[in-house]
Amino acid sequence: MAYRVQTGVIGAAIMPHITGDERALEEILYDVTQEALRDAGLTIEDIDGIVVGANDQYDGRAISIMMASGSVGGVDRDILSTPSGGEHAFVMGALRVACGQYRTQLVLAWSPTEASSLAEVQRLAADPYFHRRLPQDELGAHAMQATALQAAVPGVDGLAQKVLEKNRRNGAKAYPDMVGNGPLPGPIRYPLAPEMSAAPVTGAVALVLASADFARERGREAAWIAGMGWATEPAFIGDRKLTEAPALQEAARQAYAEAGITNPVGAIDLAEVADPTPYQELLAYEALGLAPRANWAAKLGDGTFGPGGSLPVNLSGGALSLNPVYCTGLIRIAEIARQVLGRAGPHQHKNAATGLAHAASGDAMQYNTVVILRREQGVSA
Amino acid sequence: MNPRVGIIGIGQSAFRAKRDDASYPDLVREATKLAMEDAKLEFDDIEAIVYSLSPDAMVGIGNAERLGIDAVGARNKRFLRINTGGATGISSVAAAYYHVAAGACDVVLTAGADKVGECGDSQTVLNKIWDPIYERPLPLGTITMLAMSAIRYMHKYGMTEEDMAQVVVKNRWQAAKNPKAHLRKQTTVDEVFASRMISWPVKLFDCCPQSSGGGAMVLASEKYIKDRKLDAVWITGVGHCSETYYIGDRMGRGYTADHADAYALEHSFKRAYQMAGITDPRRQIHVAELYAPFSNTEFHSIEAAGLAKLGESPAMMREGDFRIGGAIPVNPSGGVLCTNAIAVTAMIRVAEIALQVAGRAGEHQVKGAKLGVAIGYCGDHQFFGTMVVEA
Repeated sequence: MAYRVQTGVIGAAIMPHITGDERALEEILYDVTQEALRDAGLTIEDIDGIVVGANDQYDGRAISIMMASGSVGGVDRDILSTPSGGEHAFVMGALRVACGQYRTQLVLAWSPTEASSLAEVQRLAADPYFHRRLPQDELGAHAMQATALQAAVPGVDGLAQKVLEKNRRNGAKAYPDMVGNGPLPGPIRYPLAPEMSAAPVTGAVALVLASADFARERGREAAWIAGMGWATEPAFIGDRKLTEAPALQEAARQAYAEAGITNPVGAIDLAEVADPTPYQELLAYEALGLAPRANWAAKLGDGTFGPGGSLPVNLSGGALSLNPVYCTGLIRIAEIARQVLGRAGPHQHKNAATGLAHAASGDAMQYNTVVILRREQGVSA
Repeated sequence: MNPRVGIIGIGQSAFRAKRDDASYPDLVREATKLAMEDAKLEFDDIEAIVYSLSPDAMVGIGNAERLGIDAVGARNKRFLRINTGGATGISSVAAAYYHVAAGACDVVLTAGADKVGECGDSQTVLNKIWDPIYERPLPLGTITMLAMSAIRYMHKYGMTEEDMAQVVVKNRWQAAKNPKAHLRKQTTVDEVFASRMISWPVKLFDCCPQSSGGGAMVLASEKYIKDRKLDAVWITGVGHCSETYYIGDRMGRGYTADHADAYALEHSFKRAYQMAGITDPRRQIHVAELYAPFSNTEFHSIEAAGLAKLGESPAMMREGDFRIGGAIPVNPSGGVLCTNAIAVTAMIRVAEIALQVAGRAGEHQVKGAKLGVAIGYCGDHQFFGTMVVEA
């Protein structure tokens, strides 16, 4: 279906690793909001509504949206929260502009690290009767997916190593101050060695969405939403075949259909995909239609997905370089938006006319969101 | 002209203090099944799901929406969750509305459930909504917070404890007609006064119960509804508005908003009214389901809705204006005061208004109701969502 109003991203701010200051979370949110507004050339007075991706458990609060209202400009505004994922805030914000009721939306997510144990926080998401006694956090679920892929794809560990090296090199170029000495290694979850994931860090991200009319009136360039899809895997990880990603396939199908893309290879200039571990990035190549598993070795061997390749993936370095857990998904979308706007910084791709962002949340890519952004404005319904 | 979005299916549990016969996902499924049957649809017809769940701690599961995925039939479908505290239910209906109004989907399900009655103590959970450094240690809960609002309202507008009791008596009388309501036993002003003091001037009977149960609704595009000649009522106004976070900003010297008046609540109504073309609420609105978990807050809501002038609603309450059969019946279902399963409470407000304007409310039907308004509250009397529904 076509959206009623063409919607685009006109500004974004990414703070993928916040360290060494004494700011309260509210101050961080104020700062990321103001930076996104400056990038969009707007003030808060121009914002019609706000959607935050706020997770009570990570924040150590109930109804985390309440805390945000003041610092992100929510007072006397229409503000919603999507605790299922930071990227779902983007979906909701886009729908709110696309329905014609609002001309602008501010969308943001954040991920603090003050919780005494993120692993324990994530374990509370398990079913209280059957699964909670298992010491399983999200990285543990990603690790089970890695184990499943090891059994299904001979030589996958070597490919995972190549993905890891690629993303770390990209990260060191994109965010040299933050990734320069290599990210802090994550915990061990068999079969993942500590260096196969990045330790959680505090981060925040904000985007400004606007209707085509608004962008034109203000003379703002936009990264236009050409397609958007989102889908979920079932509740229990035991009900899934972890070597496949049907919900991601479905999210991609929705996004490609809206964008009029029949074959993403050749149609997409670059991508940012979920990579909590390299194994998820490999699976994403296949589910997004970029490379079936039989071609992973060839594509990684010839540098297709590298910075000089025909379809660079995770030029930002991905979550394997900087891992603010809860907002890594929305950061993928913000990275593609900044690429398409030509404002990505040191890792700007020379030809970023059409970009794909894939965000995933939950256990082993449970929730999947795919957004296609284009420099060229499409036609709305 | 905003596109019209219709409500074609409604499901709600019979709410009770405990539902130990059903797990949390079971309750979500129960409501979903009722809404799907009401809409006469199969899961294959549903394109997207908006999951309605307020603080996870109420059900004791982090990101508990993930456990509800199968209960709402969301596998490999569009799925996301909304949490705006007590307003979550109405925000979820709004989110589903945006899916359809944007042109992304034709048919969307919103569903959820809560087990507040089994959470141990909801006030312990709700204390965690405040800032951990400045306000959480006070110790604030939603009862103490709204008791302070009641005191301010008494001081400013002369509301009495008896006025508060009149709200309880009215809502219990109405809940007695609603088979889904949790507290259905009628009561008297004397009984309200005799009930235990919780936080002056709020007594036990002035408080909502802690309820368990689920709610679900199916929304569809006008084209889908007309092509299939379905029965529907229409969402014509949607609005939200927030105040500041800190409750201290609403009292004392130099406050930014008055704790008795709730300007953001009024603005939330204004946004929805503007969209629905409502300029004279007292004349145009036939029925209202106004989120009021404590008796005193029903007065704020009535006045913010424009159904009474500031400070005049207690006198109108005494005259019976807000009873079924009165000028503008408020909370004919018995309202939040008689049923509060937080994750879906504000959704039930919309669902009840939809039933009223469809003429399907049963014994608590308001005669001739064709246009109604619903509202949800969140947090420290901070965040509000409003919806106008028309036949």
